[in-house]
Formats: sequence, structure tokens, C-alpha cells
Amino acid sequence: MNEKEIIAKAQAGDRTALAKLVKMYEQTVYNFAYKICRDKEKAEHVMQETFLSMVKSIRQFSGKSKLSTWLYTIVSNHCLMMARSNKKHMHTSLDDDDALIDEKNITDWDVAPHKITENSELGHILDEAIKKLPPDYRIVFVMRDIQGLSTEETAKAMSLTIPNIKSRLHRARAFLRNELNKVFGNES
Amino acid sequence: MKAKEKTTCKEVMDHICDTLGEDLDSPNCSSIKEHLEHCESCQKYYNSITETILIYKKYNVKVTTEIHAKLLNFLGLDDCE
Repeated sequence: MNEKEIIAKAQAGDRTALAKLVKMYEQTVYNFAYKICRDKEKAEHVMQETFLSMVKSIRQFSGKSKLSTWLYTIVSNHCLMMARSNKKHMHTSLDDDDALIDEKNITDWDVAPHKITENSELGHILDEAIKKLPPDYRIVFVMRDIQGLSTEETAKAMSLTIPNIKSRLHRARAFLRNELNKVFGNES
Repeated sequence: MKAKEKTTCKEVMDHICDTLGEDLDSPNCSSIKEHLEHCESCQKYYNSITETILIYKKYNVKVTTEIHAKLLNFLGLDDCE
């Protein structure tokens, strides 16, 4: 049975088909939520809420976009809701392009394998850097660069224009690069 | 029409951020590519942006059997497998 047939069965009320869709997309949704929240418990909560929304509204899925794009819209909304309810983190303003790209701050990077092996110190640095990004910038970065959606798909999933996506992506990449430059940049 | 002034590093860096992963072969990108080939500073910037993306890609989490079971239970679909 292909995905279209499984979706049609799920829309007709077949619970086994719904469970199949959950199984097909749970890894993608969990990883996406984790990369936004940087917290396993929160990511699990967001994943549960995302699939609950899918189960409740699968009949409204028109099939005009891919199911994955539809799910990205849902999971992004849940991530944004969670971020709004958790205002503990102060997000960095990314309005100043000149401050983001400082030509004096360009060095060779030393990314020797031992430096990027998963360890708690690097994990903490990655967590803190991405948490400083405003949530919508974070989502654009993860959708485009990590999950590999096209600019058009990202714009559709986030209901933003293509120039808005490009501008957020540009600033998110530059900001994260600057944060990681503190770890990987060689003093020149 | 006056020819475009020499492409600056700032323009290149902005453009790298805009287009990384997209089509760098488009006509608009030719001067950027040429600049990139000859500018060490922009090459370093390009490489560090690429590494940033790769490092963030590396950290993944896995849905364990327990997390999967909890999810199906939460959705009331635990009898459907």
C-alpha cells in the first residue's frame, strides 16, 4: 500500500492506517522538535501534540502538498506555542546585519573529529546557541538546512514569503556561525 | 549602462548565506563565484557556514520503542499495530 492509499484509509476512519502514518513520520517529527526545543522531554510532548492534531484533522488534509509539509506546519506551530509559553530565554535581536557579519571575525575553522564528537560540552554550546535564536528563525534554519526542505516548501509550511525565509535563514546561519566560531575558530 | 562595481566581501558573505544549498550556477552568481575562488576570507566564511550546518545536522535523537509505545497510547492507537 502506498502513502496515498494509507492517507485515504486514515481519512475514512481506519485507525490502523493512522497508526501507520504515525510510525512513518514519528522519527522526522521527533528529530525536528528536538532540534527546535533542544530538550528530549519537550520534543516528546511536541511530537504527541503534533500527531494528536494530525489524528483530529487528517480529513482536512487536501493532498495538494506532501503530508510531510503539512506535518511540518503543525509541528512548527506547536514549537512556536511552546516557545511562547516558555519565556525564560531571552532571544537575541538579529536586526543588525553589520553586527552579524564582521569581516574581522573570519578565521579558519579547526573541526577535527575529536572536536565534533558528541559530548556534553559541545552539546551544551549547540543548545545555548540555538536557544538564543528567536523561535521562527530557529524553525527556518532547521527546516531548510537540517531537514532539507526547499525555500518554497519552508515558506509554505510557515506561511511566510520567500524573501522572509531567505532573510531569516541568512541571519540564523550567520548568528549560529558566530556562536560556534568561539569554539572552532582559530585565533589569527 | 555602467558596469557593476567590483563585488565586495560583504556582498559575497550575504549572498553565501542566502544561497548556500541552492543554485550557485545561476547567472547572478557568477561574479560571486569568481570572487569566492580568489578571496581567502570569503572561502573561510563559506566553509565555516557549511560546517555550522553539518555540526547541527549531526545531533539526532531516536524514537525508542518506549517513546513509540507512549505515543500510540497517548493517541489511543496502541491496539492498532
